[in-house]
Amino acid sequence: MIRFISSAWEKFKEYIVLVVLIIISLILLSQNNSQGIQKVRAVAFGSFATVTSVFSDIFNISNLKKENEELRRTNAEIMLQLSKLRESAIVNDDLKGLLALKDSTDYPLIIASIISKSLSKSQGTVTLNVGKSDGVKTGMPVITDKGIAGVIYSVSANYSIARTLNNVDLNLTVKCERTRENAVMKWNGDRLVMINVPKTFGLKKGDRVVTSEISSIVPVPIPVGIVAEVGNVEMGIFNEVTVKPFVDFQNVENVFVLGLVKDKEIDDIQFNFLNKR
Amino acid sequence: MIKPAYILSFVLFFPLLLIQTTIIPLVAIDTIIPDLIIIILVYYSITQGQIYGTVLGFIYGFLFDIITGSLLGSTMISKTIAGFTAGYFSSENKRDQYLISYNFALIVLLASLIESTISAFFSSVSLNTNIFILFIQYALFPALYTSSIALLGMIFYPKRRLF
Repeated sequence: MIRFISSAWEKFKEYIVLVVLIIISLILLSQNNSQGIQKVRAVAFGSFATVTSVFSDIFNISNLKKENEELRRTNAEIMLQLSKLRESAIVNDDLKGLLALKDSTDYPLIIASIISKSLSKSQGTVTLNVGKSDGVKTGMPVITDKGIAGVIYSVSANYSIARTLNNVDLNLTVKCERTRENAVMKWNGDRLVMINVPKTFGLKKGDRVVTSEISSIVPVPIPVGIVAEVGNVEMGIFNEVTVKPFVDFQNVENVFVLGLVKDKEIDDIQFNFLNKR
Repeated sequence: MIKPAYILSFVLFFPLLLIQTTIIPLVAIDTIIPDLIIIILVYYSITQGQIYGTVLGFIYGFLFDIITGSLLGSTMISKTIAGFTAGYFSSENKRDQYLISYNFALIVLLASLIESTISAFFSSVSLNTNIFILFIQYALFPALYTSSIALLGMIFYPKRRLF
């Protein structure tokens, strides 16, 4: 028996090693969401990000001038919009006061820099230089001045990893700003698409898409992109709508983490409601 | 006694990943980027043998997945198989021939194609998308970019091996 095993090992050792390592990989693949793996991941990327942040600062200096110019232009545009919105806000506050509505639009912004990017075609992630010590939690949206860029996926003490919209594992509920129709948006490996959109929906090319209030991940309206193409699937009752995101993931360097996670109170009330049915 | 080359191949991963995640995105063409880790993996698979290449691919994949936040296991499998494939070119007699620039770039192209194709499989991409186009975008373009970088690197590779 031992001789047989020894002879088999001698003959096929390369294949045996390969098969064993693939089996270990497959086991780990099924354990992705386990607490243990998440802890190891937080320690690993947290330690590595400490070095990366120094390195990335050096390279970011060269881009600062260009970014400053862009920010100045954005500032000017925002200033013009602000004066217009101020008028609307006064009217809005008055109306809210009359209707006794609760203000739900005041969210803290945590400023962050991207210190490394994993520009995978299907699993885009970025590492940010903010973590638990800055108040960042898993599930918080990551935004830029243009719109949503991603969602925090893993957090260590001083760093965090966010999944960008170019990640097949991130599904978001979005809505068309004009028609108010909701759909699930995801990255299909090639483009950002709203899936299972009923053909009766009136989405048109050029419509603005924002995150939906019914989203369990980002329950506030944040700009996502514009409708680039409304597919015309001949079979079935659903269409696929291509969305062009506002955020250019390749060039983005500074972001904000929106200090918001889904309200536990809402979760509890929904859970209780389902339990009583 | 552990060979110095083994330690070096492990240590080398970290500066390479640093460059891969900070500098390489700056030279991205659209979203196509070269994979420096596969180049070094192919190099070690040829110089140190198939089993070593397979194990090194596994370790590189594990570290990559855990540090970058990718789906743990996906890069592990793809890099393990890429290391195994590159290890076929580790024959003692022909080793130096395989390290000549054009040959090395071709081996990198092959390993990178296999690695990217397997990665694409684990990305659970939509079945509505044309598989041929996906293969070109996911596997062929990044593999060509990676092998071009490998070709450039091997042109400056000294005749006497460093590691």
